[in-house]
Amino acid sequence: MNTLLNEDQRDALQELMNISMGQAANALARLIDAQITLSIPKIVVVSASEFHAIFQSDNYWFTRQSFLGLVKGEVLTLMAKAGTETMGGLLDYPVPLNETSQDELLLELANILAGACLNVFSSQLDLNTKLSMPTIFSEQMRKAESYRWISTLLMEVEFQLEATAFDSRVVICLEGQSVNVLIDKLNQLLED
Amino acid sequence: MELAALHLKLNDRLPMGVCVVDAGYNVLYWNDFFADRIALRSEQVLGQSLLSLFPAEARYLKKKIHSVFVLNNASFSYWEHKPHVFPFSSSRPITGEETLMYQNIEFLPLDSEGGTVRSVCLLVQDVTELASYFQAEQQLSARLELEHAALKAVNEKLSMAQNQLLQSEKMAAIGQLAAGVAHEINNPIGFISSNLQTMQDYAGRLLKLVAFYEKVTAKTGTETTQAMQRDMQQRMQFDFVRHDLTELLAESIDGIDRVAAIVKNLKSFSHVDNAEWQYASLVDGLENTLKIAANQLKYKVEIHRDYSDELPDVYCQPMQINQIFLNLLVNASQAMDAGGHLYLKVWQLDANVFVEVRDSGSGIEPAHMNRLFEPFFTTKPVGSGTGLGLSLSYSIAKKHQGDILVHSVVGEGSSFTLVLPVHGSDSPTEETTENEFAVEGNESS
Repeated sequence: MNTLLNEDQRDALQELMNISMGQAANALARLIDAQITLSIPKIVVVSASEFHAIFQSDNYWFTRQSFLGLVKGEVLTLMAKAGTETMGGLLDYPVPLNETSQDELLLELANILAGACLNVFSSQLDLNTKLSMPTIFSEQMRKAESYRWISTLLMEVEFQLEATAFDSRVVICLEGQSVNVLIDKLNQLLED
Repeated sequence: MELAALHLKLNDRLPMGVCVVDAGYNVLYWNDFFADRIALRSEQVLGQSLLSLFPAEARYLKKKIHSVFVLNNASFSYWEHKPHVFPFSSSRPITGEETLMYQNIEFLPLDSEGGTVRSVCLLVQDVTELASYFQAEQQLSARLELEHAALKAVNEKLSMAQNQLLQSEKMAAIGQLAAGVAHEINNPIGFISSNLQTMQDYAGRLLKLVAFYEKVTAKTGTETTQAMQRDMQQRMQFDFVRHDLTELLAESIDGIDRVAAIVKNLKSFSHVDNAEWQYASLVDGLENTLKIAANQLKYKVEIHRDYSDELPDVYCQPMQINQIFLNLLVNASQAMDAGGHLYLKVWQLDANVFVEVRDSGSGIEPAHMNRLFEPFFTTKPVGSGTGLGLSLSYSIAKKHQGDILVHSVVGEGSSFTLVLPVHGSDSPTEETTENEFAVEGNESS
């Protein structure tokens, strides 16, 4: 962590993330008309095994979604299996969900969460990122050796929907080169 | 201006649908991809509601577009979930198998001001080719999976069959070995037995002789000779020897008789291929087999016998029938691991003799009932059952024009009844009786 960002840069990034998440939560609350609690974003550098460990839980669905722009990377979204039905109801899906509508719901939800996190953040830093379509991240693909590991900066936010079992985590992973772009942007911001 | 016109031209040549709507879902623009398929030019639909143009999916479109306006964030629609949002016909109208176009749709915030989205762009991609390829592949993989499962089942059956064959071959080899050993043992047992009997005779005579001498000494001997005799007898512990000698010999003779009986049983049993048809007593067969199976049964099972009097001999291959008894007895004993009661009943009804072997064991699962006589079907752990016992028994019974009836209650026990016609296949009433019981057997299972 310390090797990538210094204290000031980290504080600036944290502040930016806080603002982004606030706006994201707002937008989400307007869409589904329910109170959403957000954790304070965590910014960490993780090792390959730590990263791998995130995906070892059986209690979550996983989706992934790549983004392009000045920075490149992937957004991974973890959604609690426990709250899927409730979310389906809130998002106007016919419950009980079948296999297809569940996939559809998960992808839509992931897209909303990931988009909310990334968009606000990237517009603050003027990174001009565009998200591609999310896909379900299946279990067979969750093998440590399949990750192209360079150096990854993780920004992690937890969403919780009040009075439901649903919770989710959005993990934004930046590819190695993009971390430098981000640092440059942060430096500009700090100089201003 | 020139560039803007070029952009519009380019839009019309794009292999994807482009449609822009405002916050009221009214169409601001669509390219030729839409126009060609709906037969309405962009100018003609300007200001019309997209929802009323496509009423069938109005709700879905509204939801998707609404979320883009609220979140200022792209949204997606997948062909896997919603294949035909727009009712466009397939891109392969002549050769394709599909009639409707499969679509992926992106809903993008196109134009926003201060965080408020003013227009949303829909990008419609024709993924019919991909979808049909994907579906074909899925069908293929489903079929492959089925075939794979079938193959696997066959493989398992084969390897099981091979195991069973090995097992039964091993059993046959052991049987022959046992017969050989039994034959070899038989000779020494013969002379040991006869020698022991002679020794018993001689010992009796010696004891009588000693008794005679004692009497003579008592009558005619002097004090001294009598004292010497008492002294010698005491030193030799003769009173004990005299008593013990007869007992020892009697015990030995009994022991060697038992060994002889075991060898005889072993010999008669290992000649399973002795397929001679003859009239034989089923009770004798059952009892002989019981002796063979005794070590499996005797310590844990209490045996109750109920044999009718005056049973006729049955025309059969006795060794084969014994094989059935052995299977039934071994099964019963294995069903009663923790001990229990074994009821053996033999009776006659009309021209049939019935032999029932009933246990108080674990019983048979209803699901297994109709597979009981299937070759290689076994519920015993690998290695302890061949799965051939009952199927073999059944085929022997059938060869005798007989049957095996089963009745079982899980947790209470099972009963197997062998039905044999007294006069074999010549029996005139055998056909009807067998049918009657077959029906009864089915009901009880």
